[in-house]
Amino acid sequence: MMKIKAKTIVKGIASGEAIISRMPISFTGGVDPNTGKVREPGHDLEGKSIAGKILIFPVGKGSTTGSWQYYATYKRGNAPRGIINLQAEGVVAVSAVITGTPMVHRPEQDPFAYIKDGDMVTVNGDEGFIEIG
Amino acid sequence: MELQKREEEMLSGKCGAGLKKCMEILVAVGECNDAAKMIPVTSVHMAGNYSVMETEGIDWLEELARGGSRVKVFTTKNPEMYDFEDWREFNVPEELQEKQNRINNVLKDLGITLLYSCHHYLAGNSPKFGDHIAWASSGSGAFANSVIGARSNRDGDHTVISAAITGVIPEYGLHLSSNRKGQVIVKTGNLNISEYDHSEFQAMAWHIGKKVRDKIPVFIDLQPETVIQNIKAILYSLTVTGAVGLVHFVGITPEAPTVEAACGTSDIGSLEHLSLTQEDVDKAYREISTATDQKVDLVIFGCPQCTIQEIGEAVDLLEGRKVHPETQLWFCTSGWVKTLCKRMGYWEKISAAGGRIVADIGAACGPYLYLPKQGVRVIAVNSARASYYSHNVTGMETWFGSTKECVETAIAGTWRGRQ
Repeated sequence: MMKIKAKTIVKGIASGEAIISRMPISFTGGVDPNTGKVREPGHDLEGKSIAGKILIFPVGKGSTTGSWQYYATYKRGNAPRGIINLQAEGVVAVSAVITGTPMVHRPEQDPFAYIKDGDMVTVNGDEGFIEIG
Repeated sequence: MELQKREEEMLSGKCGAGLKKCMEILVAVGECNDAAKMIPVTSVHMAGNYSVMETEGIDWLEELARGGSRVKVFTTKNPEMYDFEDWREFNVPEELQEKQNRINNVLKDLGITLLYSCHHYLAGNSPKFGDHIAWASSGSGAFANSVIGARSNRDGDHTVISAAITGVIPEYGLHLSSNRKGQVIVKTGNLNISEYDHSEFQAMAWHIGKKVRDKIPVFIDLQPETVIQNIKAILYSLTVTGAVGLVHFVGITPEAPTVEAACGTSDIGSLEHLSLTQEDVDKAYREISTATDQKVDLVIFGCPQCTIQEIGEAVDLLEGRKVHPETQLWFCTSGWVKTLCKRMGYWEKISAAGGRIVADIGAACGPYLYLPKQGVRVIAVNSARASYYSHNVTGMETWFGSTKECVETAIAGTWRGRQ
């Protein structure tokens, strides 16, 4: 078990398999709400589903309408269970708030160095940390 | 962040579930951006249309309205899918009509004015210099920041609706004077800009947006006499390729009487400089088009929605001529400009030529929810923004050119502009 402290954006606790991207993600155009699969050509998660996972990526990007598309993704059962960003920005943060998805950012240690795809990870937004294993 | 007592109460749920949700959204946005406090907003404009909100988005708004939430601040709405007066003529599928009725009803319940316009700042939602506003449409937000000197970030709909309902927004980004300083000096002196038409201004800005990315550009040699239509051309194109909320036009932008004032320093030499060549502009111009088929199904103006002047100019080009029978010609605008077109006789002239004035929609996305099923695939536009969004969001094939080239295309039925 390893704990990494982080700042809370949305409270709550969620556990699941990690899915990691080193690239920014846009929810408008970038993720298909009907499948939860990343559909941006050339993205490092292209063709992979974020549904039910703990999604770890550096930062959001793209259209500010992303929070509408994220909400549709969530309602169709295809959103991640928890979100970890290196730096949160408005679109991803709002997406997490309106869906009650636990979210933290600014981890005190580089999560990419300690977490790989498929690891069990817990986002603890109540106390502000990430737990691995 | 530090909240006032009233804001704390909203966040705690004391003032109801709707205000709690809205304050949670604003606090999260504030936390991401290290905002110290909330500040009052005076004007709100909501963007999202059905193509991005989808049914779940309407459900979300309805839940907010059912809980009794109402806007405290004057709020208007961007264009939607079809003309509310003449919709029967457009064969809009029943399913979309049902969604649109739900959108109309829920926005009215929330107290949002059903303007369905993206030139809201010409139609009653006009902030003044220094006002803090929340406009969720990047083109008009840039207009507010750069021409009026009001202050808006690039906020999404959930954030601006929350601002309208609570009356406040986190103080960060372009709300702070320290973040409004020019960062890249843009020199257009090598270009024969005095001869540029509206489309060339857009091509120039398309290139600049890609170069400056999220930095604040400072145009140092744009003539103060530059007409507002060309300023809009720059802003609505630059905000497609660049994540820019504010552009300083020295001599035009209220905060930019001089280049030093715009940049907040006298050491202009230390800033990044960007010089443009005509080749840059020509290359960008060609990049904006995405089509290869010469046959054009629809020539569509209005991104942002056409002003009465723009429609008047097109009428002069169209008078006494006939649109090709296999090509449609649409002028997208607001309801009030449509009314004015009837008063001015433009409506009759455009109808006689075989064209249409369509209110409540823009040329960027709304109508492409039903037009492809009616056989519309290749479109011609005089807006770089319309080309980008209609292609990338709804898959249209696009030609981009001047107003005159687009009108000639409507008459010929095939593309008459640059290849």
